[in-house]
Amino acid sequence: MAQQKVEIEITDAGSYRVLKPTGDLDVYTVGSLRDAIGRMIEEATPKVVVDLDGVPFMDSSGLGALMGGVRRLREAGGDLAIACTREQHLKLFAITGFGEGVSIAPTVEEAAQGFRG
Amino acid sequence: MKLSLRWKIMGGFGLMLLFIALLGWVTLSLFGSVRAVQRKVFREAIPALVAVDEIVRSYTAQSAAVRGSLIGSLDALLDRYQREVEVAKHWETRARELLTDGHESELLDNLTEAGSQFHSLVDEEVIPKAVAGNRAQAFLILDQDGSRLIQDIEVQGELLRTLQEQRLQDTENELSSRSRQALIILVIVLFGVGVAGIALAFLLPRRLSRNLSRLVEATRAIGRGDFEHDVGIHSGDEVEELATRFTEMQSGLQRLQQLALQDRELEIAASIQRNLLIRHIPHSPGLKIIPMQRQANLVGGDWYDIDVTPQAATVVVGDASGKGIAAALMATVALSFLRAEKGLGSLPKTVIARTNEALLDATDPDSFTTSIYSVIDIASGEARWLNMGHPAPFLLRGTGVDGDDPRGYYVEGPRNRVLGWFEDPGLNVTVIQMSPGDRLIFYTDGFLEAKAPEGEVFGEQRLAEAIVRLSRMGTDQLGELLVGEVERFAAGKLDDDLTMLIVEYEGAVQQDDGSAAALNV
Repeated sequence: MAQQKVEIEITDAGSYRVLKPTGDLDVYTVGSLRDAIGRMIEEATPKVVVDLDGVPFMDSSGLGALMGGVRRLREAGGDLAIACTREQHLKLFAITGFGEGVSIAPTVEEAAQGFRG
Repeated sequence: MKLSLRWKIMGGFGLMLLFIALLGWVTLSLFGSVRAVQRKVFREAIPALVAVDEIVRSYTAQSAAVRGSLIGSLDALLDRYQREVEVAKHWETRARELLTDGHESELLDNLTEAGSQFHSLVDEEVIPKAVAGNRAQAFLILDQDGSRLIQDIEVQGELLRTLQEQRLQDTENELSSRSRQALIILVIVLFGVGVAGIALAFLLPRRLSRNLSRLVEATRAIGRGDFEHDVGIHSGDEVEELATRFTEMQSGLQRLQQLALQDRELEIAASIQRNLLIRHIPHSPGLKIIPMQRQANLVGGDWYDIDVTPQAATVVVGDASGKGIAAALMATVALSFLRAEKGLGSLPKTVIARTNEALLDATDPDSFTTSIYSVIDIASGEARWLNMGHPAPFLLRGTGVDGDDPRGYYVEGPRNRVLGWFEDPGLNVTVIQMSPGDRLIFYTDGFLEAKAPEGEVFGEQRLAEAIVRLSRMGTDQLGELLVGEVERFAAGKLDDDLTMLIVEYEGAVQQDDGSAAALNV
């Protein structure tokens, strides 16, 4: 299958950056999110809020990229928070237990308040 | 310069057409020259010669007529003189039309001047003296002055004739010179046509055929398995385009060969994965365990394990994150750790905790696996499990026979987190009591996340309804039927693996030693 891409909008919110993917986050598209998080680490802006409002579907690959991002950003001295109002994703976070380890809130600002450190 | 084949052929033919046009122009020019010479000779030079001859002849005749009239009958000969004067005038007019060149005109003027003087001499002196009866004096004047004038006329006529002959000679020379030029141009043009013809008929097909031979050689190289063969055609035309496409095809074939190799490796991986899964479900009086798996790809991230003793059955189901080889490796590693730990006789909580630790060390931060580790006590029907971030199992009650309608619910017990990511995933246990006929259904999220073409997911609600509806068909068929239902929903396009383990509790069976299995979860 051809490599698909998910559009990722990156905005600077001062002390952190907001990554807003648009499209499904699955095994075919997840590389873009992983690369974007990698750039945040390279650019020494390791505090990131991922806004999932534009992601209608996310599978375990997408979840894996988010959780991998959490770990990598924390190792770089930052953190990853998630802004999400979609029931389906919130349920996935709850089932897998990731909701307990990561700041998840309905808005970007509220999510950013939950950054560790 | 690089030109397409079409332009090369068109250019060649164009060049030939140019030469042919040049040939036509030279021929026409030659005909034009011949026509010009013809015009000069037949319409100018010869009529001018005739006119000059006629003029000279007329004056000679006039002189003879006057001379005769002085000797004999005066009137008849004077009439003849007058007629010849008219003839001379006519030819003088004609000659003036034809002899327009400066020198010719001058000679003609001299001739006509001499003619005029002759007429004046005859009309004013010779004839009046003859009429007055003085014929001897008239004869003398005519013989002296008249003869001189006639002689002058003859000299001028001769000069004019010579001049015309010279013009004829010049014309002939010009014609000869033009013929030579035409012949040279003709030879050059024919040579050019020949060269262009050779280029078209010989060089172009030769080059084409040489390049085609290279393509043939390249196809043979592919046949030998050499995908690195350089076609090496830089003709700048359609053959080079063909060679470029051929090279792309060569790369495509090489990629296909690599893919075929990968496919073989994948098949080996799939075989290893299949061998790891339980192939023969151990028989267990009191429990029926039916596994069902449909992988979206050759290898997948879903995994399960079944272990049955006379006292209890251990049923484990898991789903590694991601897809393909990465997920399959994660699943294999998880299953291997879990079996190794289980083989040591560890308690379920220890098995899970140690598997988690091992996966944390061994896998990258993007990878994890969900899992349910369950133990079902055959004697009591009690089922206990650790749910490590996995979708909640479904408890199906009712056989559908004798008014025992099927019904069921998702068993949402205390949850723990996925394996391989958290240092402390939690070890909370869910406990339920099963009655004979109850079916505990473990499944992976492929059932919930199967997507219809328009994007809607199958979801928990649809799965629960399908389980209850299809349960009347019997435990053996249920897994297959549910997979079929999900496949239809996704229009045959499954992105994720589907795994389902159905554990039907048939009721306690008396053990040989009379004891009941003790569970320590």
